[in-house]
Amino acid sequence: MTDEALVTNRNSDTPSTDRTDVFLAITVTALCANLWRFFMAYIECRNLTRTYTKASTTITPLDGLDLDIEEGSFVALMGPSGSGKTTLLNLIAGIDSPTSGSLMMGAVDVGKLSRSKLALWRSVNIGYIFQLYNLVPVLTAYENVELPLLLRNLSAKDRHKKVAAALELVGIDDRHDHFPRQLSGGQEQRVAIARAIVTDPKIIVADEPTGDLDRASAAEILSLLQQINVELGRTLIMVTHDPKTTKYAGRILHLDKGRLLELESSTASAPGIHP
Amino acid sequence: MRLLPFDYAVRNLGRSRTRLVLTIMASALVVLLVLTAAAFVRGMANSLVNKSAGNNVILMAAGSEESLERSQIPGSTAGIVAASLPGIKNRFGVTYVSPEIHAAIIVKDDKEGSRSWHAVVRGFLPEASLVHPRASVIQGRMPKPGKDEIMVGGLAAEMMGVPDSRVAIGQSLWFDNRRWNVVGRFTARGTVLDCEIWVPLTDLQVATKRETVSCLVVTLDDAEFADVDAFTKQRFDLGLTAISETDYYASIMKFYQPVHAMVWTTAFLIGLTGLFGGLNTMYAAFAARVRELGMLQSLGFPRRAIMISIIQESLLTSATGTLIGSMLGMLLLNGRAVKFSMGVFQLVVDYRVLLLGVAAGLIMGVLGAMPPAWRCLRLPIIEALKAS
Repeated sequence: MTDEALVTNRNSDTPSTDRTDVFLAITVTALCANLWRFFMAYIECRNLTRTYTKASTTITPLDGLDLDIEEGSFVALMGPSGSGKTTLLNLIAGIDSPTSGSLMMGAVDVGKLSRSKLALWRSVNIGYIFQLYNLVPVLTAYENVELPLLLRNLSAKDRHKKVAAALELVGIDDRHDHFPRQLSGGQEQRVAIARAIVTDPKIIVADEPTGDLDRASAAEILSLLQQINVELGRTLIMVTHDPKTTKYAGRILHLDKGRLLELESSTASAPGIHP
Repeated sequence: MRLLPFDYAVRNLGRSRTRLVLTIMASALVVLLVLTAAAFVRGMANSLVNKSAGNNVILMAAGSEESLERSQIPGSTAGIVAASLPGIKNRFGVTYVSPEIHAAIIVKDDKEGSRSWHAVVRGFLPEASLVHPRASVIQGRMPKPGKDEIMVGGLAAEMMGVPDSRVAIGQSLWFDNRRWNVVGRFTARGTVLDCEIWVPLTDLQVATKRETVSCLVVTLDDAEFADVDAFTKQRFDLGLTAISETDYYASIMKFYQPVHAMVWTTAFLIGLTGLFGGLNTMYAAFAARVRELGMLQSLGFPRRAIMISIIQESLLTSATGTLIGSMLGMLLLNGRAVKFSMGVFQLVVDYRVLLLGVAAGLIMGVLGAMPPAWRCLRLPIIEALKAS
């Protein structure tokens, strides 16, 4: 049914026809959204370049990168040190800006946002998971998770609901009143993940989230990230050095000297979520 | 703009207790220093200007305007002025004209002069209590002429550098090779009179071997200063010049302006040193948190919100220091006697001085936090996140 037809039907006088029209409209909208999700990339990098100049030296960690990432995918960025994977992650996270090229996130050209608008955009769209957790040591696990919600116009009750849900999802709700120094590395990273998901962002970026953890904790964290990707349907982009961690991702991107070398799909990715 | 929780600023104070204590102490010291400078200037100003009677006029020898001690006018002038100058205050037939001698003399501990001190001595008649209403006997009685008796002001002991008990009633001092017994104590709080020794006029004339007086202090009723000034010009044969008491002490105050400037400059420089010390401490504190500040920015907190939180943190520290400094100032400074060439005055820590100290402490809290905070916040987020 076309939009014109929908408008025509909406103007009908019969109540029963109204209900049918509403039902049809919802169905069509959902169908279109799903089609868009499957056929259109949510993140579009075109000729993306980032150069840094220090003294007289100029380095180009990203050099004319073209890349599409679909909504809901779990992407692992791999490559040697200096290949540009963290630079790409930071650009997608909106904490750095491209030197040239475009970086479209949905309908927004992130590279063209001012510093303040970018900060606002980040607070709504991005959840960042750091290698070293970066929890505030003077705040409890609960308060750390609550931090990003303070940027929203939410009541204390609503914040509490969201924080409690996030802590429960990462399985650390029993440690909500513990300070970071009272938690293990794996638990700290769980709190950091809760902080990243509590605002329900569209994209979650993780910079070597298991780099500081032992093997068992790393496996738990990766399973948790995969669970978040599958159950919440959030786009997850992860930088990693460890090839073993890539089995959790649906798509693996290899970067070298600022260029995309190859693309491959993981066999372990969640079916139906990734193209 | 959404701010960071106030709790965050409060709890950050506990990150390093040693640094917190040192910063609070530094703030308290700077505030105490500012209070000292302000209390000094305020105390001196109070003693020289504010408390002098507004309608008193000093008549002294023409050409001696800069120093009452050098002025000499005949004692008989008092009668002439009282009879010839209309508009002088008069009560129950007594005209408010007080002939006085102002002298700086050396008083001794005993006849041999084993110890001696500089003292400011005023020769007076009973009319002095009329023209100086702030002076009142608080212990003993007024000295009687011809009995070698004296009355000592509340801060005279400070002026001489002796314990107060040394000038208590019953004690004696030596000058002009005679023993002078202390028979009374008076106070004239907040004025230069408080540091003086008062001697009956005729006795002091004998002791200083003079027949003249230094000045006449006149309290005006319906006469204006211009009337007195005109009188001195008409009666040039008396060789008098008139100056209002307020202007006289203001001129002395002006003389001490370089001292005030020096006091303020010293306070400012030491305060600046404190500020730079504080900047250094704050920078060390914030530099250790660069990554955390970067993380807060990555969450979406704008730099201004983080800056405000940092300033809150610094203000909490400096406010605590200010409170301690102000309390110490009240306890240690207020009322403490300070000796200077004119006499002795008391440091005054009143609400104005306290406001200045509090303002200095709080300004230091804001200014001390901004440069180091900005130095940390201006880093690009990606660099801040890499900080170790």
